[in-house]
Amino acid sequence: MATTTATINIASADLTDNALNITNTATLNKKGNLEGLDTIISATKTFTSNSVVDLLPIAGFQGDASVKVYIANTGTSESDYFTIGIDDEEIGRLYGGDWMFMPWNANDDGTDANDDDITIKPSVSTAMTAEYIVFS
Amino acid sequence: MATTTATITLSSADIQSDVLALTKQATLNKAGTTTGLDQTTGLNKIIFTSVSAITLIPETAAGLNKAAKVYIANKSTDASEFVTITIHAQKIGKLYAGDWMFIPWSQIDGNDLKLTPSVATALPVEYMMIHEGITTA
Repeated sequence: MATTTATINIASADLTDNALNITNTATLNKKGNLEGLDTIISATKTFTSNSVVDLLPIAGFQGDASVKVYIANTGTSESDYFTIGIDDEEIGRLYGGDWMFMPWNANDDGTDANDDDITIKPSVSTAMTAEYIVFS
Repeated sequence: MATTTATITLSSADIQSDVLALTKQATLNKAGTTTGLDQTTGLNKIIFTSVSAITLIPETAAGLNKAAKVYIANKSTDASEFVTITIHAQKIGKLYAGDWMFIPWSQIDGNDLKLTPSVATALPVEYMMIHEGITTA
């Protein structure tokens, strides 16, 4: 059983009148128990088209299990972004330097061919790079 | 202009043969700019006593495709308790006890951010959004 932790710190001295400093550490466990997630997939991909593509298809992942996904835009451009979605639903945009971390319901509910695939769409076709890690 | 950072650290000594030690810091800026986000809901804590789905953060037209970052944490300590996060009708995933998430959110029209607790026995959740655009009247 592996032990993996994900820690977030959100900090600002001037967003609010009082300084903001939130820290939270999660131990990444399997669904509903204290056994650690034991599989990791990581990759870096460079995109040269602004077409929407599957970054993470559900194939190979157990539906309704505990899966955590980290995605980062490794670029430095403040104007170029990746649009991240699940199936046909847009979640949000990652601009240069942005990252996200979320649970993923990699489930095949049979409603369409894409189901819960995680999709990515670069805003430009001039070499944008994303990195991702999946814990399951 | 405010300066807000979000830093993630992913660590494991044994999930693979190499030690995993990743740290990445993002500066939270307005969409397409280097100007810092300047609004926040503040950190909220709700103790849920129903398994009904609720709208945690409603989308607003003023926030459409602006930069908004959402942090949600399940503060339960019972490993079996979870909250299901959805955007519109799309299930994103489940946050089990101690789990947190941090995502950008485009606030597409009608796509509220919703939460459904798995139990009705006092499940605590913390959340916060840091954003631009006016999201409350």
